[in-house]
Amino acid sequence: MHELPITKSIFKTVIAKAESVEAQHISLVALQIGVLRDYIPEIMQKYWDYIAKGSIAEGAKIEIEEIPVTVQCNDCQTIYDVDMSNIEKTRCPNCGCQQGNVVTGREMRIVGIEID
Amino acid sequence: MSELKYIDLKQCILEDNDNVANEIRSLSKEKKFFVWNIMSSPGAGKTTFILSVIKRLMDRFRIGVIEGDIESTVDAQKMQALGIPTVQLRTGGDCHLDAAMIKKAMENLPLDKLDIVIIENIGNLVCPAEFDLGADLPSMLLSVPEGDDKALKYPLMFTVCKALIITKIDCLSMFDFDFEALQINVKKLNADLKLFPVSAKNGAGMEQFCKFLEEIVNEKIQLLI
Ligand SMILES: Nc1nc2c(ncn2[C@@H]2O[C@H](COP(=O)(O)OP(=O)(O)OP(=O)(O)O)[C@@H](O)[C@H]2O)c(=O)[nH]1
Ligand SMILES: [Mg+2]
Ligand SMILES: [Zn+2]
Repeated sequence: MHELPITKSIFKTVIAKAESVEAQHISLVALQIGVLRDYIPEIMQKYWDYIAKGSIAEGAKIEIEEIPVTVQCNDCQTIYDVDMSNIEKTRCPNCGCQQGNVVTGREMRIVGIEID
Repeated sequence: MSELKYIDLKQCILEDNDNVANEIRSLSKEKKFFVWNIMSSPGAGKTTFILSVIKRLMDRFRIGVIEGDIESTVDAQKMQALGIPTVQLRTGGDCHLDAAMIKKAMENLPLDKLDIVIIENIGNLVCPAEFDLGADLPSMLLSVPEGDDKALKYPLMFTVCKALIITKIDCLSMFDFDFEALQINVKKLNADLKLFPVSAKNGAGMEQFCKFLEEIVNEKIQLLI
């Protein structure tokens, strides 16, 4: 459900960009989305198909690169990957500390679009 | 056949919202008020908690409230009954408040005469976390009946917050809420998060939270004098 407002916002940005270069059609939208955003790619594509109907972006493919969650250790500054489904067991692989701050995993970027 | 062309955008999807959130930050600096955003699932206890905080701090600070509610005005009426300037936002089905709505709502508050603006966000643990409102203190309220695993199911929420308030602790004996486990797990992603166990019903922990709030509000508004 929460994919809808975001998909609308992407649509607006992308259409404005494509129109500014007088593109006839958008065939692909490339995104980078952090795992913490918890977006389901199939749902975004579905919303896109619905929103973009009748526009120059109709039928465009939404390509999502998922950015994994990484954390910086509060004690030794090591940056390490976090598997969210196994957060209970997570600790710094270098010093064993259990406190850190998110470095990546919250991204939400439009990387680019393919037009013709 | 025309050729395919790739255009680089490298643009943050919520850029529009984030820009307005930054305008709110500048406005709150200029007008010297503190912004506190409270997010939780529906019925976690936001209104009760806010009212309890207001009653404890209203002799020291001038407080205004922005109420996000999908349809009703009940919560706003409770604030107004205390003589607190209140703006009711009716989003008519939206699942979150965005920065533009808050900026607009602020136009209807006497900002020059306020020290704290409290935002009661819409009951939802997903969407409100995505929209920066320019708050000095974004916070999450989690109630004991919801369970200690709730925070981990909505990780974006507690990574964007500075305070996690565990409310309804008067009900602890009825639930197997593991405060220690929660604290350990949330700090894995947000080491700076401050946790406050409270009961808005019997007042437990309210003193500690209000003291914390008072300190950070004073820190901001006095720095700006
Ligand atoms: N036992 C107990 N009940 C509480 C506490 N705080 C709130 N409640 C009760 O929880 C219910 C919901 O409280 P509200 O303050 O309306 O919750 P809310 O988060 O504002 O709800 P919405 O705005 O509808 O999402 C009410 O019946 C409150 O009396 C508490 O600390 N302890
Ligand atoms: Mg309420
Ligand atoms: Zn470490």
